[in-house]
Amino acid sequence: MTDTTAPDDAPRCSYCGEPFPTERLRALHRGLEHHERLDDDEREAFEDAYHDESEDLRSFRLRALAVLVALYFGFLMTYAVVAV
Amino acid sequence: MSRRGARVLGAVVGLVAVCGVAAAHGGSLRDASGQELAVPTWLFLSTGGAVVGASFLLASFVTDRAFVAAVHEWHRHVPAPRRVLAWVGHAVGLAGLVFVLLTGFVGPTEPLRNGAIVLVWVGWWAVFAMSTYLVGNSWPAVNPFRTLTRPVAWVLDGRDVALPPGRASWASTAFLLTLVWFEVVSPLADEPRMLAAAALGYLALSVVGVVAVGHDQWFEEVDPLSRLFAMYGSVAPLQRTDDGLELRLPAMRLTDDVVTTNGGVAFVVALVWGTTYDGFVGTPAWASFARSVVDAGVPAPVLYPAALLVGFLGFHRLYWWAARKARDVAPTYTDAAVLARRFAPSLLAIAAGYHLAHYLVYALSLSPSLFGALLAPLDPPVARTLVLPSWLSGVGVAAVLLGHLLAIWVAHATAYDELPGRLQAIRSQYTLTLVMVFYTMTSLWIIGQPAAEPPFL
Repeated sequence: MTDTTAPDDAPRCSYCGEPFPTERLRALHRGLEHHERLDDDEREAFEDAYHDESEDLRSFRLRALAVLVALYFGFLMTYAVVAV
Repeated sequence: MSRRGARVLGAVVGLVAVCGVAAAHGGSLRDASGQELAVPTWLFLSTGGAVVGASFLLASFVTDRAFVAAVHEWHRHVPAPRRVLAWVGHAVGLAGLVFVLLTGFVGPTEPLRNGAIVLVWVGWWAVFAMSTYLVGNSWPAVNPFRTLTRPVAWVLDGRDVALPPGRASWASTAFLLTLVWFEVVSPLADEPRMLAAAALGYLALSVVGVVAVGHDQWFEEVDPLSRLFAMYGSVAPLQRTDDGLELRLPAMRLTDDVVTTNGGVAFVVALVWGTTYDGFVGTPAWASFARSVVDAGVPAPVLYPAALLVGFLGFHRLYWWAARKARDVAPTYTDAAVLARRFAPSLLAIAAGYHLAHYLVYALSLSPSLFGALLAPLDPPVARTLVLPSWLSGVGVAAVLLGHLLAIWVAHATAYDELPGRLQAIRSQYTLTLVMVFYTMTSLWIIGQPAAEPPFL
């Protein structure tokens, strides 16, 4: 179920009509939900989108790791100073 | 080991110990636990919040769709004689109700020696409720009110005035909040006569409910206790399906459509808020607030339900804010209501964790009273409590932590199921994680407060 407030020019899935905020999400949706029915172009678009996303995920992981390390050492130091 | 290392270790052990004491207070039934914190409150609270936030970050490292789906879809069929089990359940439930009424009305009035009090609070509200989320929900079979009102349904003969599911779940939410209010303001845990009367009252309410909306809808959608155990039951590994019993990984059913209406979302929020409220009215902050408000001219009987309602509305708005915001942050055009319904069940794992943390120690320490009262209902032995090893409070801490970790994982798996993008799925949980952090910190704050008697009751 999708909200009716999606703009008219939003990319829509050609198989089920679901709107998406970006072309990439539409390509991913088509690859996941309608994989058997895709033509070659769409399949290629799905694979490209998937690889692009993997790149972004890698940089997200790095940032998440940085936050985890900061949290860990932040608390370590705080405990060392405050909880005597 | 260096001195600093030892100090840090000491602080962590101290925190775990504090959590242990604290968690033992977190469910219902205020009991005195005025413990001094080993660390400042703000640090204690932010550590709890950070644990939840960090577990979200850790879960976000798992981005393999096939793996996430395999974990949440794994299941095995369990052969079981369902008809026999149902009859055993009916018999146990009816025997329990008869026992509560008998010992409640004619048993000794000392709470811990009275069969009704210990069976209801220790046997049912602690142990049975634990079984619903640790094993599976057997309440539909056991529920004596359901069994006893069956003849009413025959008389009505299918004359059901069906309530729309959304309305039914809102009604259930209202009943649940009323039950929480009644439990907090009445001496149900101390007065057997009143408890037995309350059981009769509940039977009367069930009859009215069955007459109003029909047997099936009352017990499947409206009755707050049935809905409560059904919600807890969705955390359990054993699930009832159309083709028999099914074994799943714990909490993984929460990634299915457990909540299907906005009213269902409200019920889950009310369940979480009910636990919090029960602890909140036992804090000194509430006591002084209540006194100043009553001094200002607000009548005391209005104060408790008003606080219950205001807090519920606050939690409810906060949760919906998270769902709406998730839609923008992800970004997605999926309806905020769909996101709210799909993510709500993850909160149930947290609720189950808090319940276990509180009631495990409670149930074990009072188990001699339960056995005494069950074996000799009219003249039970002097109430004794079991002396428990101190490591058991560690099980409580583990339960709270495990509840949060399961909730984070369930939200993660649900987002992967609902949204096409992996990064989009992670981003959709930012606000929900914030809400979970807020909820954890609120609970920990209540837990860290010295216990006070709620005023004006």
